[in-house]
Amino acid sequence: MDAQAFESAALAAIAAAATPDEIERVRVEYLGRKSELKLALREVRDRETGIVLNTLRERLESAIDAREAGLARAELDRRLTEERADVTMPGTPIRRGHLHVITQIRREVEDIFLGLGYTVVDGREVETTRYNFDGLNFPAGHPTRSPLHTLFLDDETVLRTETSPAQIRTMETQEPPVYIVSLGRCYRRDTPDATHTPTFHQAEGLVVDEGITLGDLLGTLEYLCKALFGEDRQTDFRIHHFPFTEPSVEAYVSCHLCDGSGCPVCRHSGWIEVGGSGMVDPNLFDFVGYDKERYTGFAFGWGLERIAVLRHGIPDLRELWRNDPRLLEQF
Amino acid sequence: MRVPLSWLREYVTVDATPAEIARRLAVSSLEVDRVIDVGVADLDRNLAHFLVGRVLEVAAHPNADRLRVCQVDVGEGDARQIVCGAWNFEAGATVAVALPGALLPILDEPLDERELRGEFSRGMILAEDEIGLGPDHAGIMVLPDGIEPGSPLVDALPIRDQVLDVTPTINRVDLLSMVGLAREVAALLGGDLHPPEPDDPTIVDGEAVEVTVEDSHGCPRYIGRVFAGVGIGASPQWLRSRLYLAGMRSISNVVDVTNYVMHVYGSPLHAFDRAKLAEGRIVVRRAHAGEELRTLDGTLRRLDPSDLMITDGERSVALAAIMGGEESEVSDATTEVLLEAANFEPIGILRSSERLALRTDGSNRWEKGVDPYLAEPAAMLASRLIVDLAGARLTGHVDVHAGLPERPVVRFRPERATRVIGLDVPEGDQREILAGFGFAVSPGWDVTVPTWRARDVTREIDLVEEVARAVLDRVPATMPLRRHVRGRLTKEQRLRRIVEDVLVGAGLSEAYTWSLVAADPDAAAIRLPDPMTSDQAILRTTIVPGLVEAARTGVDAGADDVALFEIARVYLPAGDRLPDERWHAGAVVGGGYAAAKGVLEALYGALGLELRVVRAPHPLLHPGKAAATAAGWLGELHPTLLEGVWGAFELDLATLFDAVPERVLYEDVITFPAVLQDVAVVVDEDVEVGALVDAAREAAGPLLRGARVFDVYRGDQVGPGRKSVAIHLAFQSTERTLTEDEATRLRDAIVAALGERFRAELRG
Repeated sequence: MDAQAFESAALAAIAAAATPDEIERVRVEYLGRKSELKLALREVRDRETGIVLNTLRERLESAIDAREAGLARAELDRRLTEERADVTMPGTPIRRGHLHVITQIRREVEDIFLGLGYTVVDGREVETTRYNFDGLNFPAGHPTRSPLHTLFLDDETVLRTETSPAQIRTMETQEPPVYIVSLGRCYRRDTPDATHTPTFHQAEGLVVDEGITLGDLLGTLEYLCKALFGEDRQTDFRIHHFPFTEPSVEAYVSCHLCDGSGCPVCRHSGWIEVGGSGMVDPNLFDFVGYDKERYTGFAFGWGLERIAVLRHGIPDLRELWRNDPRLLEQF
Repeated sequence: MRVPLSWLREYVTVDATPAEIARRLAVSSLEVDRVIDVGVADLDRNLAHFLVGRVLEVAAHPNADRLRVCQVDVGEGDARQIVCGAWNFEAGATVAVALPGALLPILDEPLDERELRGEFSRGMILAEDEIGLGPDHAGIMVLPDGIEPGSPLVDALPIRDQVLDVTPTINRVDLLSMVGLAREVAALLGGDLHPPEPDDPTIVDGEAVEVTVEDSHGCPRYIGRVFAGVGIGASPQWLRSRLYLAGMRSISNVVDVTNYVMHVYGSPLHAFDRAKLAEGRIVVRRAHAGEELRTLDGTLRRLDPSDLMITDGERSVALAAIMGGEESEVSDATTEVLLEAANFEPIGILRSSERLALRTDGSNRWEKGVDPYLAEPAAMLASRLIVDLAGARLTGHVDVHAGLPERPVVRFRPERATRVIGLDVPEGDQREILAGFGFAVSPGWDVTVPTWRARDVTREIDLVEEVARAVLDRVPATMPLRRHVRGRLTKEQRLRRIVEDVLVGAGLSEAYTWSLVAADPDAAAIRLPDPMTSDQAILRTTIVPGLVEAARTGVDAGADDVALFEIARVYLPAGDRLPDERWHAGAVVGGGYAAAKGVLEALYGALGLELRVVRAPHPLLHPGKAAATAAGWLGELHPTLLEGVWGAFELDLATLFDAVPERVLYEDVITFPAVLQDVAVVVDEDVEVGALVDAAREAAGPLLRGARVFDVYRGDQVGPGRKSVAIHLAFQSTERTLTEDEATRLRDAIVAALGERFRAELRG
């Protein structure tokens, strides 16, 4: 073959190739298995011709590669210059579900206490009066023991009125130290209105250990308030009364709307009540067989709905049970 | 309870503003709902415009029949001429006067001098409603004689006041009284306490008072006092005003006295028209079966044998501690009164009051356990006021009780209080705090509890609370040490969160539906004997019906892509007292069987589980599109339940989670790549593809790493009653690279097995 003529023709074809397809055709024509060059190489008998043809092949290969790369670069340049998306167009929709706002709060409270080293206990919802009342030191005649306030299954079985029975069950099955939270549904005979639903959710906390003080309770609740409502919130504690704690304390947080200066949401007091708590009454320790001289403890029970109302401005608790997708998808 | 501070300050002298008093009480004693400003404005020296006046002359108005022209001495030397429309006074009366310039709550502008029908009026003689001291506008306020004209009116009447609206907790019934609150204020703010010391009237023309208590458990104490020559009339202005500010209505002098004294001591009283009692007698007993009483609100009450009654021996005259009877009520015609200052057992009163849905100021106190010692000072103060205000004679007294309770003595360790509170409160301070609240503390720390706290304070911890509440706003906020803690979720809790997250990721939103339902598919489901409503009567055994309702809500709201799930308890009857409470996850999604199954496959995949189903009917599902898994069921919702095509599933999570491996072990799936082949076989329509896959696995053994149906074709090419099923096959060994030939042999074995088992023909 005429190597020189072949090379000139090939180089001309390479230079003329304007697309990746054309350069591929050139590659097949000049370097493919049936190309004149490949056939000639097969025929080669002497070393010198072999060297000449092989170097020719290498030159053509690199010329084709270079042309190919150039074309690819040109094509890329073209795409990058010409292609243009309307970046304000919506994306391909991906369907996304939503956790119920109470679940979101439940998890947040759980996580706050997991971070402090507490475990999470799933209590029962149907309870005996022994755990719902007796063990929690509810005196005979306490209003909550009345069927006017509590849903009874029979004389000794109720739908739990608070998450606190989980305290007794936990203490019965484990020795101190106890650091638990328990969250879930509770039931009371409340006619539904903006601030009551007959089913509601509580977050219960219980700590029993040596040397636990009222100060530890206040510190823990202050931590919880700031975690839930923001570091700049103030907390305030006022004496209260519950059967299962002594002393008992109600926690308040400075109003998120007016920052304490007074507005309709906080009824012009600057403070919003967030939940009850106290030092575990020694009668509970007697009930479960803990040494009440050695151990002290604290407990608290907060409504998750209350947190939802304060954080999200939900005006009516019945909305939480409506399951209207327009509501569910807000959160 | 409404607490006018002017009244409170009669019993406690303290250098503190209303806001300071409210704050201390709120922190340490009871809930202070709000502080209400009442009366006339206290700005621009407004109070100086209100004076006591004496009417010197009253003359007819020359030009107006309804008006009179009065000359009133307000301590200025010369009398002031004031035109007045009231007729309930004459010359000599002591009255309340507002001078020109006064700001009155009923006027937009300051009061000015003006002419009324040609007569100049230089002020106003006040009625109680004009300065917020009562509802009455029938006449002006006539004050007691003897107040110097020109004295500031604010010294005679609470024309400017703050009223605390307070709610004590149920253990602090002692704070439903002015004396109790004064004691708290004195102790907490360092004030001087001076409670009323009633000067008990002496008995004249003494007579026996017949009181029989047949149920001394229900009525541990009954003081009966009788009065003769009672003149029923209106109460004096100071009493009317105090009751008004305390939120009570003035009725008549004797009734007002009972309400007033209840407010002072917290021990309710009742006055009977003694002439209406058979032989003027009182018998306290339980109600007879079928007995009825018309209470003084006019309602005929059907009584229960557990109700405690005040009777006259013949019939009931009052529902003890709750409300008096209409017939024995004190009226204008009453001249003889029997005053009841008693004590009642709380629980029975609470039950009666709840059953009758009748709550009164009286029952609200009795149901919390009133101190029986209070009956005596209450009887004394009420007697003094009845004698003074109604011109009555006290003619008899009896005090029936079988011994009053001893004051509890509690051993106390101040160092224990310090340890529980977490604040070092010096012993001297603790002693002072307890003494301030009325406790007697011995040098050796034996603490004697005051009678009004005897129910509430019986243990050392109760005394610790007394110290704690006094120092509550000084307790430092600390954190527990938390040695030996382990903050982590259990496996089940962790997996529940994963289920929530996967379902949300699959596009489902979480609904909350009620645990109590109107109906449940399980006939044995637990039913409440006394539900709130028939809608919430049964503890559900399944979640999906609630979700169906929720989905309907979504459809009705116009949503076109409803997909809901819920994770909640169901309550399975277990034969025990308590049901088996199990966590279930349920879902309802638009799109039928495949939609539900797709979600479930994603869920199982996330848990590292393979979803295996078998055809099984379920009452909530379309009978032809229903399947069971080891943990529950899935399928197309029965078309009668919800319009449209819906998929649903419900799983028992404990069962599901049991199968979840603790951990995933490494397998080398990279070094020896899989050989992929497809196969298509034609089978009868009723052959389920799951059976084909199972048979393929069985035939090929462990080298068949994956088999997934990707197409089912029905049509002319395969003939009627037949379908073509195309399956991706992946063959892989962990020890070597399989050859195409090996793969083909395995594939042939699968085809042969399918042919044998299902008459499957290889499709060309």
